[in-house]
Amino acid sequence: MVFITDQEILETVGMIQSENLDVRAVTMGISLTDCAGRDPRQVAEAVHAKIVRRAGRLVAVAREIEEKYGIPIVNRRVSLTPIAHILGSDDPAAYVEVTHALDAAAEEIGIDFVGGFSCLVQKGFTRSDSALIEAIPQAIGGTQRVCSSVNVASTRAGINMDAVVRMADVIKSISRLTADHDSIGCAKIVVFCNVPEDNPFMAGALHGSGEPEVSVNVAISGPGVVRNVVEQHPEASLIDLADLIKRTTFKITRVGELVAREASEMLGAQMGIIDLSLAPTPAVGDSIAEILESMGLERVGAPGTTAALAMLNDAVKKGGTMATSSTGGLSGAFIPVSEDAAMARAAAEGVLSIEKLEAMTAVCSLGLDMIVVPGDISRNALAGMIADVMAIGMINSKTTGARLIPAFGKKVGDWVKLGGLFGEAAVMAVSGAGNDAFVGRGGRIPAPLQSLTN
Amino acid sequence: MRTTVIVTALGPDSHGLLARVATTIAAHNANVDDVSQTVSNGMFTMIMFVSFDETETTIAELKGALETAGAEVGLQIHVQHENIFKFMHRI
Repeated sequence: MVFITDQEILETVGMIQSENLDVRAVTMGISLTDCAGRDPRQVAEAVHAKIVRRAGRLVAVAREIEEKYGIPIVNRRVSLTPIAHILGSDDPAAYVEVTHALDAAAEEIGIDFVGGFSCLVQKGFTRSDSALIEAIPQAIGGTQRVCSSVNVASTRAGINMDAVVRMADVIKSISRLTADHDSIGCAKIVVFCNVPEDNPFMAGALHGSGEPEVSVNVAISGPGVVRNVVEQHPEASLIDLADLIKRTTFKITRVGELVAREASEMLGAQMGIIDLSLAPTPAVGDSIAEILESMGLERVGAPGTTAALAMLNDAVKKGGTMATSSTGGLSGAFIPVSEDAAMARAAAEGVLSIEKLEAMTAVCSLGLDMIVVPGDISRNALAGMIADVMAIGMINSKTTGARLIPAFGKKVGDWVKLGGLFGEAAVMAVSGAGNDAFVGRGGRIPAPLQSLTN
Repeated sequence: MRTTVIVTALGPDSHGLLARVATTIAAHNANVDDVSQTVSNGMFTMIMFVSFDETETTIAELKGALETAGAEVGLQIHVQHENIFKFMHRI
């Protein structure tokens, strides 16, 4: 019998009971290559049947694991082969038809989101890609549970600016279509650079072409646990603090490893990856911004924020990689403004700007995420913001994404309630300087040099 | 198959808390393999290693019964499979 001390037992119980430790998501990745075809009805039926067959027990298994270990599993989700890869059609309506099958399957098996209404267009568009992108506004606007992502850039291919501009148009359309709900549809679409093939987090989860038939990917969480450790050591030097964070994230990640092993075995799937991201929720105490503030910043956004975040992000990864040999996904601290109450507060106070968030994304995960911008933002301004985030990912060989919400009819300073885990935030100011001539050039920003990296 | 769970109980101290928890465990044909208990500043903290045969009871059953018993005497009781502690604190 392994000896465990009373202190260790109480530490684990305390993490779960008072510090919001949970498993953020158990996401089943399902390959749809055997559902491929040209007839949307046949593809829709095959996809629906496969999701229900392979993930039908996902919710029950997650519940069983929660019960057994006393650890909450917040979300159960499914990620799919990018739909543009399995439906050979140039008719956007065909893609909308398949979306309804995805939505119905997700509802039937009791999950909140299904991801993979996606395509990869960093070098150019196939006819399927074009049709899928055209279908995104209707697909997202007309469903509850479908999430979409489009990869428009990579370190090896550069940035497809034509795709960036098209995605800005798509986001503007979704903003209009879901205007009655503060443009919430925009929260379900991510524009990526270097999209991961095994990401368990929505809205950007997809099941990549290098993945097995079925896999289980697990997203850990626990900002509250890390914040408590930081708070309890106000005198610790930064090097000591980094060590404390590493020890803590080691423990958090081990829980993810346990859940991933157990869930994959119970579901007859290959164990995929553990995503080492610290992901906030709008709940008090479940915030990345609060960790940074506990380090000694009056507000997130103060000078030093990027440095503090860089240290946090690196320590999380170091602790996590010691705990599992199956790291993957996004694996970095998230900075989604509306989903993090303290981040949203700093943004509303004007301490945290979009420019500062852009700097922060250079040292952590995911990019400009859940940022509410004025509803009348121009297509080109939106495209410029997306291009800036893509450039950071491309040059630094990392994943970055943009999830921007132009809140229809809202102006800078207006408060937007997106609801649930999407949280709420004030509309942030975007530079009004024009970029039409730059964006209007179109074409592709070439792949960057991988040496001379200053 | 024999399963080991760790039962933790926290709450204001009063008479008979340990007995109440142990009686509930015994009623489910489970065995207390180890127990430690402290009272500090009037707060009762108890940790029990409890094992049982899965043909006799389940984690869910034991958990339900202990949570009900705990609520009656003002204790917060958690029942968790031992592996979460092993995984978190040992390689």
